[in-house]
Amino acid sequence: MGGYVQFVQMLDYQALLPTMIVGGTAVLVLLADLLLPRRIANGTAILMGVLATILAGLYGYGSYGVHYLAFGGSFVLDGLSVVFQEIVLLSTLVTLLLFNRRGESEDRPAYVALVLWSSTGAMVMSGAGSLMTLFLGIEILSLALYCLCAVQRNREGAKEAGFKYLVLSSTAAGFLLYGMALLFGATGTVRIASLIHPPAGPHGLYALGMGIFLIGLAFKLALVPFHVWAPDVYEGAPLPVTAFMSVATKAGALAALARVIYTAIPASEAHWLLLPMFIFAAASMLVGNLGALAQTDIKRLLAYSAVAQAGYIVAAFAGATEMGIRSAVYYLAAYAFMNLGAFAVAALLSSEREEGTQLVAYEGLAARRPLLAAAMTLFMLSLAGMPITAGFLGKIFILSATIHSGYWPLGVILVIGSAVSFYVYFKLIRAMYARVERFSHPVAQPPSQLPWVAVAICAVAVIVLTFVPVMPGDATFFVK
Amino acid sequence: MPYSLFWVVLLPIVLGFVAYALPKAGDGIARGFGVVVSLFELLLVALQYGSVGHQESLPWFTSPWTAAFHFGSSQISLLFCALLAVITLAAAIATQMPRTRDFVAQLLLLEGTMMGLFLARDLLVFALFWDAMLVPVFIMLVNWGEGTAAAWRFLIYNGAAGLGLLLATAAYGILAGSTDVIGAAHAPALAAHAAWWIFVGFAFSYAVKTPLFPFHTWMPDTYTASPAPLAAVISSVQSKSGIYALLVIGFGLFPQEMHRWAPLLSTLGLIAMLYGAFVAMWHNDAKRVLAYSSLSHLGLLFLGIFSLSQFAIIGVLVYAVAHGLFNAMMFLVVGYIEQREGTRAIGRLGGLGIHNPKLGGAMMIGSMALLGLPGLAGFAGELLVLIGVWGAGLHWYAAIALVPIVLAAVYMLRVLLKVVWGTEVPDLPVRPDLAWWEILAVAPLAAALLLFGLWPNLAAPAAHDVSTAAAAGVAVTVPATVSEATH
Repeated sequence: MGGYVQFVQMLDYQALLPTMIVGGTAVLVLLADLLLPRRIANGTAILMGVLATILAGLYGYGSYGVHYLAFGGSFVLDGLSVVFQEIVLLSTLVTLLLFNRRGESEDRPAYVALVLWSSTGAMVMSGAGSLMTLFLGIEILSLALYCLCAVQRNREGAKEAGFKYLVLSSTAAGFLLYGMALLFGATGTVRIASLIHPPAGPHGLYALGMGIFLIGLAFKLALVPFHVWAPDVYEGAPLPVTAFMSVATKAGALAALARVIYTAIPASEAHWLLLPMFIFAAASMLVGNLGALAQTDIKRLLAYSAVAQAGYIVAAFAGATEMGIRSAVYYLAAYAFMNLGAFAVAALLSSEREEGTQLVAYEGLAARRPLLAAAMTLFMLSLAGMPITAGFLGKIFILSATIHSGYWPLGVILVIGSAVSFYVYFKLIRAMYARVERFSHPVAQPPSQLPWVAVAICAVAVIVLTFVPVMPGDATFFVK
Repeated sequence: MPYSLFWVVLLPIVLGFVAYALPKAGDGIARGFGVVVSLFELLLVALQYGSVGHQESLPWFTSPWTAAFHFGSSQISLLFCALLAVITLAAAIATQMPRTRDFVAQLLLLEGTMMGLFLARDLLVFALFWDAMLVPVFIMLVNWGEGTAAAWRFLIYNGAAGLGLLLATAAYGILAGSTDVIGAAHAPALAAHAAWWIFVGFAFSYAVKTPLFPFHTWMPDTYTASPAPLAAVISSVQSKSGIYALLVIGFGLFPQEMHRWAPLLSTLGLIAMLYGAFVAMWHNDAKRVLAYSSLSHLGLLFLGIFSLSQFAIIGVLVYAVAHGLFNAMMFLVVGYIEQREGTRAIGRLGGLGIHNPKLGGAMMIGSMALLGLPGLAGFAGELLVLIGVWGAGLHWYAAIALVPIVLAAVYMLRVLLKVVWGTEVPDLPVRPDLAWWEILAVAPLAAALLLFGLWPNLAAPAAHDVSTAAAAGVAVTVPATVSEATH
């Protein structure tokens, strides 16, 4: 809709400010690394990253409730963008706290900068109002992640992970771009909210474009059948990066998906245009949980679990109801805390030599590290949707959203998938609590206690969210 | 006392976590802690009898529907709470196992979650505790149970049932606008087909947890694998959560669905009675005999409920209490035997009464209550249920139900005669008789059995909370209390 010209105002930059704080800090971190002596550079890098995320988070929180189309609608400031940016910032903050192993501290400022850039990309995705901005966000996010995945070159699987992610993510980007091009061809606009007016008459081009575009997003979300890359990449990447990918990347992609489903697809077309998406979601809930059954590595287990969890959240979008987006946001926030918490526990079980992600490292943990075992139990219960955790309430909300929108079969599949997932998450609880005669695995001495902060934040949040279910209420989610 | 009901629920949960701070090696301290806490909890429940009908509520959320942390005491809730408190106390006294501290902690957590279940006045809070119950049981099973297969079976079956309940609860919340409805004078009316589906979800969940005949396959394994105190608590009280739910939620919110499903569910109850009794006769493992006898007796409760007779409900409540008491007693006694002799195979045991008269006596009282000796609570309950079933016009059901009741005498006397009075097994070591605290664990149960046997009317006030009536088109519920009626 190039019909009007708008002068770029101060307000436009203010809408982008949290994103710019994070991206800008990444540059400052590299500068600091150049100027400061090695000794303090590492600590400073983490500190700067943490401060930047907190600052951006506070600023973003302050603009909650403000609705504004910045840069002619290319970047949108509304309920959705703020909430999702906060979740991205949260996962960035936790990720920074998890960089505690020596292998990771060699080049810590570089890590920090890459994570911050990646986070910038996810934030841009959250607020993307046009297809161009969305693609920009995805590329910023992905480019930084390619490096992060492969950065520990001597680690087994690291190169494989980086390469796999590069190839498959590029494929997904190709799909997205092709879909975008077709959509532009069909409608003559790149603004997402303007796509809602499909061309009159037969619109095969529009449907094809939308279909290919959505497949690209499904790739990014690792929905079945586009999920096969996730376990290998999650396993090969360093632990904090995996934690970041499992939350921030998903948040960015979910924000984009939500914006498309709620603002770009006409209600009359939604039921058939989005049907494949919900079939993907249903398949993800089942395949993700079934795939997780056999895993003995926490990262792979959580990779499959993340596939299923993404399926739960997408199911909430069905029917594009107000209740759906609220439930999805609540569940995503809950998921962010519980998943990051689980990774933080794994970080505390990591030693200099290896990451604490093998199931055997958790055997008898309740006897040896009771507090850590209790925290992990809490996160696992939450992932399984058991009380008294945010995951329980989140699942209830999503179930009610699917019933409310009439897509109740998704609710039934969610229930079946969750029943399978009990085995997955309780396997870990069993390992921690079952009696062990002789410990075959030594307790790791983590190089830093910083992940405890992350564990504490996540554990408190998982419980508090249950009793005070803050459903983002007053703000409008979508500004069209 | 403000928030006294919250304390009934929270005290065991909070102190259960506190128990982890006790010294790891101090088994005696941990057990003492468990006994004191469960005794105090029993006192708290008893105090609630002074203010029946008391309600406490804290808001939870209002979107997508209204739910509240709403607890309320009614006669029927308190009856089950009291049963739970007594049996947890007995289990705490009888606890004798490695890592006592951790066991006591989990036992208290289990007690707290079940208290929450019986006192909940909100369907979502009910579902929350329904699911929460699984965690301590699972942890106890993998820790102190025999093999983890039973733990998985328990978890998967009950977890699936819990998810069914969750789905049905979510549907109820969306359609009715509020889940804060248990015991409410005016339950929201639902569309007929919605009520049908939601009730199916609820009933499925209740039938798995209790369990009812085709959904029982997890139960013998779980009871057999559980250590004695845990088996006592879950077979006696956890099994009653489904019964309680049918009486309070089923009759309260879905009277018409209860009527609609009555023929099927009462028949399944009857099948469970026969099937359980026949299988119990062939097992050599004393715990398995008890598990299948439990299945049979729980079938009687289903039959009583779905005879839809107001009279049978009194019997159901008396029998629910009786079953809880004698089942707990029997599981504890079998635990004592196994601890002494290292086996619970009936064929390996014999003549325990000669050297262990107290143990034999305890087993005899439990068995007599189980097989329905007049004067003990089991008999009173069975009789009331059967009269109610007969009175409701289900003559054939009442007649057939007599068969498993007679069979109970067959399988229980088989065990009792062999284990206590049979010929002594020569290579079986002679072990000391029951210690005073072991008697203390089971004696209150025996006393309560006698009390309810002589005055079954003790359960009558609770039966007033249940109305089996259902007028066509209108959901009829009897207000749980005077204060609610005037509210």
